[in-house]
Amino acid sequence: MDSLQSLTAESFTYPQSYSFPPFFTLQPNLQTRLSQLRKWSRLIQRYCRHYHIFKLSLVSALDTSLFKNAELRKRLSLNDALQVVDWMTRDEGGRRAEWIDGGLDAKGGTAWVYWKRPEEWAEVIVGWVEETGQKSTVLTLYELINGEMTVGQGTVSRDWRPKSNAHGTLDFHGMDPDLFQRSLAVLVKRSKAQVFGSEDQQGVKFF
Amino acid sequence: MGNTPSSHKISAQDRAILDMKNQRDKLHQYQQRITLITGRETAVARECLARGDKSKALLALRRKKFQETLLVKTDAQLETLEQLTSNVEFALVQKDVIYGLQQGTSVLKQIHAEMGGIENVEKLMGESEDAMAYQKEISEMLGGQMSNQDEDEVEDELEAMESEITGVKEPDAVEYPAAPANEPVFIGELKEVGQQKARARARAQERAAAQAAEPMLANP
Repeated sequence: MDSLQSLTAESFTYPQSYSFPPFFTLQPNLQTRLSQLRKWSRLIQRYCRHYHIFKLSLVSALDTSLFKNAELRKRLSLNDALQVVDWMTRDEGGRRAEWIDGGLDAKGGTAWVYWKRPEEWAEVIVGWVEETGQKSTVLTLYELINGEMTVGQGTVSRDWRPKSNAHGTLDFHGMDPDLFQRSLAVLVKRSKAQVFGSEDQQGVKFF
Repeated sequence: MGNTPSSHKISAQDRAILDMKNQRDKLHQYQQRITLITGRETAVARECLARGDKSKALLALRRKKFQETLLVKTDAQLETLEQLTSNVEFALVQKDVIYGLQQGTSVLKQIHAEMGGIENVEKLMGESEDAMAYQKEISEMLGGQMSNQDEDEVEDELEAMESEITGVKEPDAVEYPAAPANEPVFIGELKEVGQQKARARARAQERAAAQAAEPMLANP
């Protein structure tokens, strides 16, 4: 994934455990393993948020700095990575991931990484719409995801800047369209939004 | 428009606006594509120039120029489309304003109808004025009914009342100085009475002693 290697104004800071060789091997001791899983989950979420990644392909990601520490010459194996992400999909892992296809049985696959879950994204989107005074206005999905209005510079008030990511944009700028749709579905269910229009030219109105 | 369920419907205007905005988005994406192409052509021109192939570099720059011309046209179209979209949205706002005015006017007319209109108000004002004038006459008539005899009687009664009030005050005035005057006198008298009794007893004893002495002189 090219975005994994994209340069940003701010480089990603790795946690201390990233420099600890055993971190890259799932531990047999249950208590240690649980602690390790939590640390990996946090690292994956922070990494994906920093680089604005919504879908993680494990096979592709194994060769990136997320799972491989070049200095240590250590990397998480595919099987261990599968265990970590699968743990994240469960309640005990906070449901911070969801398999899109594949998974443990398929020995690989792609997963949503929910550094924000659809319900949490829904709140962010509604907050932005209210902040910018665009209730009862027709908005296209394209402009919400790709438009200049959701870029961090200029049009967004200072209060919102802290919520921008390393790219200097609001978190949902450049969001994966499928995930964005799911977030809107949450709002539609709550009668806070209405999606309309033909398949590939949809719009939304917030109430 | 509030957040009532009825306002959560998507209107024909909403769909029209969506179509225009989608068209705007398409133009926007087209512009992005052209920007990429012009960037690419510039790079090609530099590469050709570096290889000494001036004619191909010139060709690349001509293609770049053409793309930029398209970009300018697209800019104009985008501006026109955005203006149209803004005008439509503003027209919707105006429609809401007119609707609000209509609502207000309707309510006002309803209130006027309940009041009965200007004629009714005029009639009411006239009646009110007549009633007030009538009341004034009644007051004047009542005020003038008192005869001189009744007036005298009333004044006499007033004087009697004033006299009563003055009379009630005098005992109060008399009582107040009496109280402090009595008490010190009473205390003083009490002491004198005590002293007098003491002296009386002393004199009685003297007389008794004198009488006792006389019979002894008489007996020898």
